Amino acid sequence: MKLRNVLTLTLLTAAIFSISLYAQEELNGKKIIENVYYRPTGDDATSDLTMTLINSRGDERVREIQQFSKDYGKDEKSIMFFLSPADVRNTSFMNWSYDEEGRDDDQWIYLPALKKVKRISSDSKSDYFMGSDFAYDDLGDRHPSEDIHKLLREETINGDDCYVVESISKEEDYMYSKTVVWVSKDKWIGLKKEFYDEDGDHLKNLTVKKYDKIDGFWTILHSEMHNIQKNHRTIMKLKDLKLNTGIDDNMFTERMMKRGI
Amino acid sequence: MKCPKNKHLIGSVITLILILIVSLFFMSRMVENSRMETDLDEYMPYDHPAFIFSDQAEEIFNINDGILIAVENKEGIYNPSTLKKIKDITRKLQKMEEINKDDVTSLYTAENIVGTEGSLDVNEFYNKIPQTEEALQKLRDDVRSNEMVFKRIVSENEEIALIVAAIDDDVFTIEFYHAILDLAKSYEGPEILHVAGVPIVEGTLAYLAPKDMMIMVPIVIAVIILVLYFVMRSVRNTIFTLMVVLFSTIWSFGLMALLDIPIYSLSTMIPVMLIAIGVADGIHLYSHLDLYLFEHPDAKKLDAAKDMIKGMWKPVVMTSVTTAVGFVSLLTSDVYPIKYFGLFTAFGVMMAMVFSLVLIPAAIIVFGLPRRKVHQEKSKEESGKFSYKFAEWTVKFKLLVISATAIIIVVSVIGINKVWINSSFLDKFEKDSDIVQTDTFINQHFGGTNTLNVILDSDEQDKFKEPEVQRLIDKMQNDVESIDVVGNSFSLADYIKRMNKVMNADDDAYNIIPNSQDLIAQYLLLYEMSGDPDNLWKVVDYDYKKANINVQLKSDNSKEVNRAIEKLDKYKVEFAKHNVNIEYAGSGYKALVFTDLILEGQIKSLLLSLLLIIVLLSIMFKKLSIGLIGSIPITITAVISFGLMGLLNIPLSTTTALISSIAVGIGIDYAVHFIERYKIYALESGDKELTIKETMHHSGRAISFNAIVVIAGFLVLLFSVFPPNRSLGALISLNMFTSFLGTVTIMFLVLYKSNVYFKKKRNEDANK
Repeated sequence: MKLRNVLTLTLLTAAIFSISLYAQEELNGKKIIENVYYRPTGDDATSDLTMTLINSRGDERVREIQQFSKDYGKDEKSIMFFLSPADVRNTSFMNWSYDEEGRDDDQWIYLPALKKVKRISSDSKSDYFMGSDFAYDDLGDRHPSEDIHKLLREETINGDDCYVVESISKEEDYMYSKTVVWVSKDKWIGLKKEFYDEDGDHLKNLTVKKYDKIDGFWTILHSEMHNIQKNHRTIMKLKDLKLNTGIDDNMFTERMMKRGI
Repeated sequence: MKCPKNKHLIGSVITLILILIVSLFFMSRMVENSRMETDLDEYMPYDHPAFIFSDQAEEIFNINDGILIAVENKEGIYNPSTLKKIKDITRKLQKMEEINKDDVTSLYTAENIVGTEGSLDVNEFYNKIPQTEEALQKLRDDVRSNEMVFKRIVSENEEIALIVAAIDDDVFTIEFYHAILDLAKSYEGPEILHVAGVPIVEGTLAYLAPKDMMIMVPIVIAVIILVLYFVMRSVRNTIFTLMVVLFSTIWSFGLMALLDIPIYSLSTMIPVMLIAIGVADGIHLYSHLDLYLFEHPDAKKLDAAKDMIKGMWKPVVMTSVTTAVGFVSLLTSDVYPIKYFGLFTAFGVMMAMVFSLVLIPAAIIVFGLPRRKVHQEKSKEESGKFSYKFAEWTVKFKLLVISATAIIIVVSVIGINKVWINSSFLDKFEKDSDIVQTDTFINQHFGGTNTLNVILDSDEQDKFKEPEVQRLIDKMQNDVESIDVVGNSFSLADYIKRMNKVMNADDDAYNIIPNSQDLIAQYLLLYEMSGDPDNLWKVVDYDYKKANINVQLKSDNSKEVNRAIEKLDKYKVEFAKHNVNIEYAGSGYKALVFTDLILEGQIKSLLLSLLLIIVLLSIMFKKLSIGLIGSIPITITAVISFGLMGLLNIPLSTTTALISSIAVGIGIDYAVHFIERYKIYALESGDKELTIKETMHHSGRAISFNAIVVIAGFLVLLFSVFPPNRSLGALISLNMFTSFLGTVTIMFLVLYKSNVYFKKKRNEDANK
């Protein structure tokens, strides 16, 4: 559970990009993806995430999560608390991630019913975030160097000029045979993405429904991931997003996990 | 004199040509428009409440029958080569068009819920093939310590690994079946591959049954032709009798094609029925002709034909109408293929009647009388003598006949109480057949090749997060697993127990349902975040209002399945206290419900046809007593047929249940012919002794021929390699025999004793 990425990238906050920096350089597929990946973010963030899971029969489940994250230069800490459903309220997760190569994230969970904080390992089988249709990699976790990128064409989506970039994994057994992303030219955020599974079949569509400039950062506020093969959807909505509020370091401790919201 | 003769000849030729033209038209329709419907689901009554519920549950929990591929390595499965085969087969199955990627379960795809540093994690057992001793040993330990996997997809002796591919009901084809078998075969050596599972059993059945029939039916027909020739002693008569059968079959199937009704596997029984019924008309007509020619050796062909029709049209019409009514009663069935079977057989029977009354005399007029052979007279004398004697003996030893009948009926009624219905597919195969052996092998090492889905249903959200409810589920699972036939079971409770255990340092004392509902909810959240939540939705629904318990059974035999259901039903009361209902779902359960429905439907239609036949006979002979007497042989036939099955512990199945109802339709013919002849002789002679002798000679002889032909034909099926076809042959033969015997013995006696057709005469005499 790489919470750092979850946080920074579910928020998908983006600095107003200084176009001049890259204006002279030739833009190839790799560069575009790197621009998205290395886009500056705020020092810390607080928000409420509402995640709605919808299965093929239209049954819905809603989870509300309050999340905090803070950037410590190379390292990053984050914590999230479940607000609802009631039976999991105050279940919390904490993640410390390190830039150091080969060093795994430290992760903890707190189950209020057990009243114990436990460390958990991060190499779980599931690549999916919270049982949703979002894989961790879909949330921006994947480093640009892991794929070969190709600029296919330029297109306009709802008035946004986009680069269309295809990415194919260098690793053979990767869960996607390829992805195609539409990147906004002036905001460096992906507005739409298609995912193809190991066998080359169309698996998922990510669509950004709403984005806005919050505290000076372009932010996606509402997005939907649709697994076409299972006809399962996940809708993520952010509200009360605050950036650079100066979150106390004490927020990211086991004590805080136990205390809850 | 010449003119009408020619008129008859021309008329006959035209009639023959017309029949031929229409038959050719139907033939062309058949060739162009006929289609086979092999999907067994087409038989299912979708609007039945149990089916609606099961179908809904199947949709919610993605319940599907699984194809099982067992990879066996006598050296153990923990070596790179076998593990690679497991992975490769899994991947190949996942890539097959008929199989959903997520529906393949094997050691390669299974998730390993483990405790890491006192917490929960969900890992895969392996992805890249483990090569080192340490890695292989670790995998082995991982499997051994996970009761959600060990003994479920890896056998206890670690020599067999199971790959399960769940498939939708509607994707199974013969090509797919062979593709699976070929796939498994290509991975043989040194590993042994076994393929089993409900879809494979059904597939083999769908493949073998028609194949066997394709071999057996021509032999049946050949034997019938041979015996027919033997009793008729005339090639021409044999050919025209067969023509009647052939044309009526073509018309039936042609009409089916014309109305765009598919041919179900059951419909292949229609020609079989029409052979059994159709030859009867021919036999009786030609038998009458024979006797006429015996008495009038110099008769002209036109007179002979006329006498034949005059003497026989009534019984032929009566037998055909009663038989048709017997089949039409199958319309009461809930099952469409059975309805169509009844309807089109009835149509075929009526057509056979028309052809018999038109084609046979027309053929006599066009092609002349059958040549009479010299030795025939002798044999006729003998048969006459035998008939007379038989009639005398029967009357003489009436007490013996009556008491024997009574004993047989009493014994049969005892047997009927033991009749049970078996919806098993596997029981249709030989005990030593490959498919049964494979099934037994897998059942020895794993939970079971068949699944019963127990669906728990509540209106309250989060009901299945309640500890009391989960504990009850756990208790019920333990209880049902104590039955021999139940290998194991799997539910949400198993997930909760596993998670509680790994969250408590793998301590077995925690392999229980925890007390707190919140804790259960939090475990489940944790699992959802770490594992593949799709697996969870196979045992519980999104709102935790419904749960699915998979009970693995080692047999699909109805008795065994019912034993498990009985055990589970006992929990209904306790679950009701929690506002939870217990229902069942899955293909095995549906088959169980389905066969019960068929049995119920068959009994209904059997009683209805009996009633209709009594009414019809009463109307035809204008006497209620005749209606009742006429129904004696068929009632006895049905009673003995069911009784014998009960006594010999032969379970009813969809086919065998149908046969008894068919036997009524056919068996009634013997009685009608006999009574009609008896009536004619009685009114003609007024001499009771002479009447019974002549009736036995004329009708009894023809009936025995008819019975011999049909019995001989169907006895051939006893040599079938396919057990259901063997029982089909045995039952039809038995039913024909009892119908025949019942007619010439007990019914004959009752007729004799009742004095019908003689009282009236006596009264008339008295009046005079």
